[in-house]
Amino acid sequence: MDTIKNYLDNLFNGLPKTAKLQELKLNILSNMEEKYQELKQQGKTENEAIGIVISEFGNIDELISELGIQVDPQTKEQPVVTEEEVDKYINAKRRMGIQVGLGVMLCILSPIALILIGDLAKAGLILQGLSRDAVDLPGVIVLFLSLATAVGIFIYSGMSFAQYSHMEKGVSLPFGLEAKLRQDRTNFTPKFTLCIIVGVCMCILSPMGVIIADARGSEIGETYGTVLFLFIIAIAVFLFITSGTIWSSYDILLKIGDHAPKKPEDKVISAVSSIMWLLAAAIFLFCGFVYGMWYIAWIVFPVTGILYAMFTAAYSIFTEKNK
Amino acid sequence: MISSDVIRGYNDTIILYLLLDGPSYGYEISKNIRELTQEKYIMKETTLYSAFNRLESNGYIESFYGDETFGKRRTYYRITPSGLTYYKEKCEEWALTQDVINRFIKEWKE
Repeated sequence: MDTIKNYLDNLFNGLPKTAKLQELKLNILSNMEEKYQELKQQGKTENEAIGIVISEFGNIDELISELGIQVDPQTKEQPVVTEEEVDKYINAKRRMGIQVGLGVMLCILSPIALILIGDLAKAGLILQGLSRDAVDLPGVIVLFLSLATAVGIFIYSGMSFAQYSHMEKGVSLPFGLEAKLRQDRTNFTPKFTLCIIVGVCMCILSPMGVIIADARGSEIGETYGTVLFLFIIAIAVFLFITSGTIWSSYDILLKIGDHAPKKPEDKVISAVSSIMWLLAAAIFLFCGFVYGMWYIAWIVFPVTGILYAMFTAAYSIFTEKNK
Repeated sequence: MISSDVIRGYNDTIILYLLLDGPSYGYEISKNIRELTQEKYIMKETTLYSAFNRLESNGYIESFYGDETFGKRRTYYRITPSGLTYYKEKCEEWALTQDVINRFIKEWKE
């Protein structure tokens, strides 16, 4: 029975997903299934019945020309994927999200030992009598070990995900599967929103420890506050990355949001944006290294952001008018 | 086997004929064609549904949802007054065509 359904799914795959075609497909499917049941009752084997039903289907081009359908050549060329492949991809993406999230957490938390040991020693609470360099040593080691572990995790997760990367080059989803994915995405929305809200609240509240300690004039309190700050940020970033990766896996498969098929003008914008941001980074590094203006050089990034927004807005208005 | 080129112009007529006695649905119609022609003509699914689409957009048939059987909603078709007029025209056309072509058909008796 599934053979007939899959056969139709594949044939209708490259066609636009209109209500009319959906209905037509359902009618043809029930027609074929009825024929199949009757052939089985006449004593045909399953294979014989399926063979007859499919041989009597006809030619899909007949329907296409009758209905005057324009077939989108892009969708027709994209490989058709099965539910199993999609499930595997989403699971792989979820694993990757957790791995990358942990890696980034490690990066954010990596200076904690250095800060904590250094400040505690400075306050005379631990490691009294050691030189400043000797005190910093364990912290530095922890810092580099954390970074190395994080990089290891990134490489590992990137390599284990590589076998699924073809799924991100645009795939064609059978009707049923696309509907199921849309449903899954809708079901995931409240969870995703909650993760973002909690994460943003954590980011806003994260400096509280430092601020309170500062107000009370406690230097060691400020150190604890900084550690707390990093922990909160790390957890928030972990939430953003893990939930964002799952969310993007739906968007990539369904080709919506940022993953909608790119229009030509988007290419112009993306070209300009990559040049602008690289230029900004170059200016930032140049001012920093050559003039030592680290304290103010960061201003190029917000300025670039504003310029970029102005450019895209102006560009879309301009191209809109030209149409 | 009948070549589909020859019969193409009369697929619509065949379907309209089967709707004369009352509404029917896709499978029943294709089954009736098979039985009435003693399996000499089997209408393909794509031909059948192309014809439904054409007939409906010309206003010769109407579709409606019938009773649900086994949880499936079935689409039924019924012939309209203009469909009946069209059917009668096609019958006359066929009588004429048959009369003309028959004059050129030689019966071979061997």
